Amino acid sequence: MKIKDKLILWSRLKSPWLLHFNTGACNGCDIEIVDALTPRYDLERFGAILKSTPRHADVLVVSGPVTRQQVKRLKRIYDQMPEPKFVMAVGTCACSGGVFDGCYGVVSGVDAVIPVSIYIPGCPVRPEAVLDGAVKLLGALEASSKGK
Amino acid sequence: MIIDSMLPALVYILIFPGFLFLAAYGLFLQWVDRKLGAVMQNRVGPPWYQPAADFIKLLAKEVIVPDACDTVMFKVLPYFALAAVVTAVLPLPVWTDAVYSFQGDLVVVIYLLTIPTVTFFLAGWSAVSPYAVIGSMRVLTQLFAYEVPMMLSLIGPAILAGTWNINEIAGFFAAHKALMAAQIPALFVALIALQGKLERVPFDIPHAKNEIVGGQFTEYSGRLLGFFYLAVDMEMVVGAALVNAVFLGGTLGASGAAGLAVFLAKTLAIVFLLTLVKVLMGRVRIDQMIRFCWQVLAPLSMAQILFDIFLKFRLQ
Repeated sequence: MKIKDKLILWSRLKSPWLLHFNTGACNGCDIEIVDALTPRYDLERFGAILKSTPRHADVLVVSGPVTRQQVKRLKRIYDQMPEPKFVMAVGTCACSGGVFDGCYGVVSGVDAVIPVSIYIPGCPVRPEAVLDGAVKLLGALEASSKGK
Repeated sequence: MIIDSMLPALVYILIFPGFLFLAAYGLFLQWVDRKLGAVMQNRVGPPWYQPAADFIKLLAKEVIVPDACDTVMFKVLPYFALAAVVTAVLPLPVWTDAVYSFQGDLVVVIYLLTIPTVTFFLAGWSAVSPYAVIGSMRVLTQLFAYEVPMMLSLIGPAILAGTWNINEIAGFFAAHKALMAAQIPALFVALIALQGKLERVPFDIPHAKNEIVGGQFTEYSGRLLGFFYLAVDMEMVVGAALVNAVFLGGTLGASGAAGLAVFLAKTLAIVFLLTLVKVLMGRVRIDQMIRFCWQVLAPLSMAQILFDIFLKFRLQ
């Protein structure tokens, strides 16, 4: 039983599949996320692949402040992902709403709608920050399962 | 008595050259493919254990079955794909002559390799999501494009060898190595058609992710998706083994460890060619693919058949 759990944890750490969702970003963070997948930074060496359906994904990468239009859709996409699932809020807007916080069309950051596992600030974020965030997310996952 | 005769059969089906060997080698070939592709694109690429980690992670994930879909069909299809691929390896020479060989097994293997494609279609169709349905329609459309050239290309060597038995075809080419060079056009057709069968890059139209999300697998998650991916990896091994047996003389008369080494070296070379095609090309449209398959590949393989018939009369 113990070995089986260890094997499952190891496989989860080694194979995070990403789903990218834009909840109203200016596209700055989206371009930087795509940047992290290019040959220069190569996220695939950590096992990360960009998937396009929520059913295949482990990590939901959200960029942008959550607009009122997107609340329903963000919730729905989050619900469509199979357990265990994690959420990365990429960019200052996704973390807190950024300069759009309090605007009539904007709810706030991503954590106002769905639980967020890790916040990556920056306007826009650097690809290194996305990589660093992904590594820290996996580290936190490992640490939390050791505590159990 | 029954146990005595059943034990070797079970070992052949479940361990070697059946399920376990195919799974291990299939995952390894997936890594070879991804790593080679990464190196060709000037990247680092995934570590060697990546496909195994992906598979184990998918096994341990939640399985979501959509309300609207046909539940039983949705759940059993991955196992059908897996079973068909494992059966298809039995008439192929892996370390020595095939374990189970009979006259006409070439046709049986071709049909067994069609079953996974049909399960992909049914998987998308039974999942009712619009993306999955479009993907599964493309699976079938693509099947009609590559299946005929593939079959025609395999007929040429069979005519030349005068048999429908894969083992005897492999033995014939191992004995007449010079004739292998005459089969290069058909080998080219078979490799391109194999690329279409495995739904790899120039022909990854059914699951083109920037158009139709995840194609036929859109609604699949967890264990079921993992088994589908495993079936695709195994299909790559079986496809490479079929091309190796029909065009390249199988194990070249070697047996045991030497035969296995020849098999591994030649299937790796075939996968290298497939990866090269994958990295060099971009995705084509479905109509372009069908036009290419019927206007270039099918006439080419028919010309090869004619050539083989003339060559056979000449040799006699």
